[in-house]
Amino acid sequence: MVVSLLLALPLAVGLWLLTGGRALPAGLARRVTAGTAGLTLVLAGATVALGASVDRAWLPELGVRWSFGVDGISAPLVLLTGGIGLLVALHAWVELPAGGSPATFLGCLLVVEAGALATFTARDAVLFLVAFEVVLVPMWVLVGRFGDAHDLRARTDAAQRFVLYTAVGSTTLLVGILLLVTSAGTADLRRLADAAGAGLGSGTQLAVALLLVLGLAVKVPVFPLHTWLPPAHTTAPTAGSVLLAAVLLKMGTYGLVRLPVSVVPDGFARMAPALAVAGAVGIVWGGLVCLVERDLKRLVAYSSVAHMGFVVLALASGSDTGLQAALYANIAHGVISALLFVVVGGLKQRWGSVDLAVRRPALRETSPRLGFVLLLGLAAGLGLPGLAGFWGELLAVYSAWAPAGDRPRAVFVVCAVVAAVGAALAAAYALRVAGLVWAGDRPDPEAPRTPDTTGVERWVLGVLAAGVMVLGVLPMLLLSTTADAVARIGGAR
Amino acid sequence: MNPWLLVGLPALAAALGVAVRRDDRLARVVAVVAAGLTGLGAAVLWALDDRGAITGGPGLAAGGLSIPLDLAVDPTRSAMAAVVALVVLAVQLYSTWYLATDDRYGQFAATVSLFAAAMLLVVLSGDLVLTLVGWEVMGWCSYLLIGHWSRRATARRAALKAFLVTRVADIGFVLAVVGLAAGARSTSIADVVGAWRRPGACIDAAVEGGSALGTALTACAAPDANLRAVLLVLLVIGVLGKSAQVPFQDWLADAMEGPTPASALIHAATMVAAGTVVIGSLFEVFAASPTARWFLGVSVSVTMLLAAVLAFAQSDLKRMLAWSTVSQVAVMLSALATAPLAAGPGAGLLHLWSHALFKSLLFLAIGWAALAAGGTAAATLRGSAAASPVLRAAFLAGFLSLAGVPLVVGGLSKEHVIAVAYDGAVAADGPGVLVLVSLVLTSAVTAAYSTRGYLVLTAHVRQRPVLAGVPPVVPVVLAVLVALTVVGGLVVLTGAFAVGEVSVFWLVLSLLVVGVGVGVALRGGFDRDPAEVLARRFTPAADAGLGVDLLYRRAVARPVLRLARVVAFVDTEVVDAYVRGAGTAARVAGWAGTRLHRGQRPSAGVGLVLGGVVVLAAVGVLAWS
Repeated sequence: MVVSLLLALPLAVGLWLLTGGRALPAGLARRVTAGTAGLTLVLAGATVALGASVDRAWLPELGVRWSFGVDGISAPLVLLTGGIGLLVALHAWVELPAGGSPATFLGCLLVVEAGALATFTARDAVLFLVAFEVVLVPMWVLVGRFGDAHDLRARTDAAQRFVLYTAVGSTTLLVGILLLVTSAGTADLRRLADAAGAGLGSGTQLAVALLLVLGLAVKVPVFPLHTWLPPAHTTAPTAGSVLLAAVLLKMGTYGLVRLPVSVVPDGFARMAPALAVAGAVGIVWGGLVCLVERDLKRLVAYSSVAHMGFVVLALASGSDTGLQAALYANIAHGVISALLFVVVGGLKQRWGSVDLAVRRPALRETSPRLGFVLLLGLAAGLGLPGLAGFWGELLAVYSAWAPAGDRPRAVFVVCAVVAAVGAALAAAYALRVAGLVWAGDRPDPEAPRTPDTTGVERWVLGVLAAGVMVLGVLPMLLLSTTADAVARIGGAR
Repeated sequence: MNPWLLVGLPALAAALGVAVRRDDRLARVVAVVAAGLTGLGAAVLWALDDRGAITGGPGLAAGGLSIPLDLAVDPTRSAMAAVVALVVLAVQLYSTWYLATDDRYGQFAATVSLFAAAMLLVVLSGDLVLTLVGWEVMGWCSYLLIGHWSRRATARRAALKAFLVTRVADIGFVLAVVGLAAGARSTSIADVVGAWRRPGACIDAAVEGGSALGTALTACAAPDANLRAVLLVLLVIGVLGKSAQVPFQDWLADAMEGPTPASALIHAATMVAAGTVVIGSLFEVFAASPTARWFLGVSVSVTMLLAAVLAFAQSDLKRMLAWSTVSQVAVMLSALATAPLAAGPGAGLLHLWSHALFKSLLFLAIGWAALAAGGTAAATLRGSAAASPVLRAAFLAGFLSLAGVPLVVGGLSKEHVIAVAYDGAVAADGPGVLVLVSLVLTSAVTAAYSTRGYLVLTAHVRQRPVLAGVPPVVPVVLAVLVALTVVGGLVVLTGAFAVGEVSVFWLVLSLLVVGVGVGVALRGGFDRDPAEVLARRFTPAADAGLGVDLLYRRAVARPVLRLARVVAFVDTEVVDAYVRGAGTAARVAGWAGTRLHRGQRPSAGVGLVLGGVVVLAAVGVLAWS
């Protein structure tokens, strides 16, 4: 009941805003959206606290059931989605992009949230896929209609690329899921995970794993399927970027854990070395591009590619520690990238562009609060202990060094070394940004000053900064939440 | 007493300090009170004399890896914690005056508190992950402290360089931590030492127990001594970076761009000394690997002599102290590189302890002298010790100790290091001989530059420099440090450091070596700067650190940036090309759709995509049923 409400509320309000409430004035639409998002967060908390679930027949002819629920793996993601959903709704007070009616914009945010929540709670492979797809169109509207209007061609291009790329990925995923469901005879994710591929031939396992991983790798994104991400992030409005980084990418990694890793472990094991190499290359690749990238928003996007490389590497390692690491790094990246995109979006709003080649007065001098939060985000991004990024990445390197017994050790050890090098690159690009944007000469008193963060933006940033610190100082909160579910996957395998 | 308090208190002070950083008075109270309480706590911890007590940490559930996050307390760690806390207190008290007019004093004090928490964590850590946490946080704090005056481009560059150089070395440190932990399936230092002390033991036991060799190999994750050597070399690379040893030595002299109290903190008791603590805590494993000992021994032997020579020729006295730190840290590490397993890491840790006292004294004193004289160049500082009798005493005690004159704290610990190096040289399975030769030469050069420093600072000048408005707390801090520098050697009587006996032979020998150094320095008489007499031509090269900075840029920074440009190009032009191709194809299809249906283009595009999806879905459903 609570779960159905959790999904229905943002979806219904979002759809109403998109259709009936389209002409709603901005102020009212904002309040409606924030209220809905707040209520959704409460419901998400209730769902997790009660462990609520629902299971009804839905399409009996196809054997598909209306089955939603949470466990240790999805609970943190549901809470993250609820929290980020509220923050982006509040962020509408800071930035309400032109390009359509405010209600359309806010409605799209809510529908994306609803789709993501459904993805994270679905207990049926087909439901998972449907939810996965629901997110696509509103996100496309956010990028293509409400995106940065400085360069319309770039905007169209980014939106188109996002849709085509992820649609191709989803289609692959669809074929993979259908193949899985037809050969296993059930779409229930829990039964599939308990069976852990028993009864499937090794050829089928490999085919299913290949299709699923390819389809989900687009969403994560895994190198070399990442090129849709930077333009989408650069173009999307701040709220869109935050949702994209903190929620949408997580759907990809969550799917990897739920589907190939749990359901066809043997098939996944056979392609794991390739995935690990892709992850490790992604870490260094993203880091290197960040060293020379001029646009700060693109830079943050490429750093996402690097961070998701750690997640993928940890997943590929196949050990319980690796799964724990992947889930941790996943959540940590969600919070950190949300923080960075809110800061960078704010800077773009203030400066008109975030070209690093343009010299601007140092944030430390003109707007210390904004500068502090930026520095915190950068420090967390480079994996500083005490902040969110550290635990996941350290454990990811560990899991690559000591992978599961059936993985080729040499490949994974090399990947661990490469990942450690990538962590040093992260320090280099983070400090490059800090040196250019945060620290600098005392500004000319005549020159226009960058206004510091106030009001809603300050609160949004404060909450995210607190999240980054809590995840860094108290890793046991999250690790103990996911431990049991991870052990169950490991046990079934 | 719970040792977590010692870590938590300064960490809390850092958080509070950031919150109240705008109010200088509150920030001062928070910083000083917290430092005082931490010092008190460390003293209590030392007095309680817990031997080998482990304090349980929160512990993390990370699959098959056990991460207990314990703290460990023993007399050596307590003594080191006490000296760290003492130096931090001295620095906090001193900065209330030194940075009184700085508009970012609050931020500075909070960072110093965080730095203290990180170093205390490393000292008390019983878990490799905690060590890593403290290690990295210190690196970050050093970035903030060195770059404190970030309005100066040189300070920004120095901070960046310090962090990047140490972080590159940390690649080795992280991999070593990961590899060592993987061998023990635990990050607890006790478990790691147990698993790696005799790497073959696990396999032997398993084979004796009747399992096949292959199964035994997979069951025992810490299989061979070669892997251990590789991991320890990686660990040493991390330590060399943090401790500014060859080939990473160049960042520390540039770090002088930070405010002097920050230099005192970084150089005396934290950061650069942390490597000694880490290797000391893994000493049983480290001492068993000749490869790692040689690796460390060669690097520190080169470093201590090179840095001492560079220190002698510096035209800037603050940079002279920086190079002397590099040299002295090499002396600490050399004791670890050569000490026989039975001797333990005591001598190196004792030198860390004494170095913390006399180097903080020297830095705090030179900061005062530099304010009085108006600069840190040797020519400017000439005669500046006359500003106060306390300064004169501080320089006398500090330089005597640095030179290694017997019985003052620095001399005592250095003799222990030399004695241990001799034992190592006799045992002859490590780099003992090399280190011993280097130590003796370095002692002479150290005595020479100490003499130089003292001569220049206390030279007779006509006009006595005057600095008004020095609050009494500054001379009191210096006086306490002077007293401890003189009598601190008594710490060996407490038994906190496991060191052997020092024979009269070593006493005489070191007096002789120091005498040679002093004699060489005095060749030009008492009135002239010995560096001008002996090394005038060498000074420009020494000031530039022999051009190693250029080497870093040419050999590392430039190739990496070039590679990054290539990667960025490939990313947009090659990896992305097929995507753009798909995009163009879709646009063409969309255009065709528009022509066909006269509909709107975006909807047609989406329609095509959705149509494709529907067709595929239909195929799937058909296949299903």
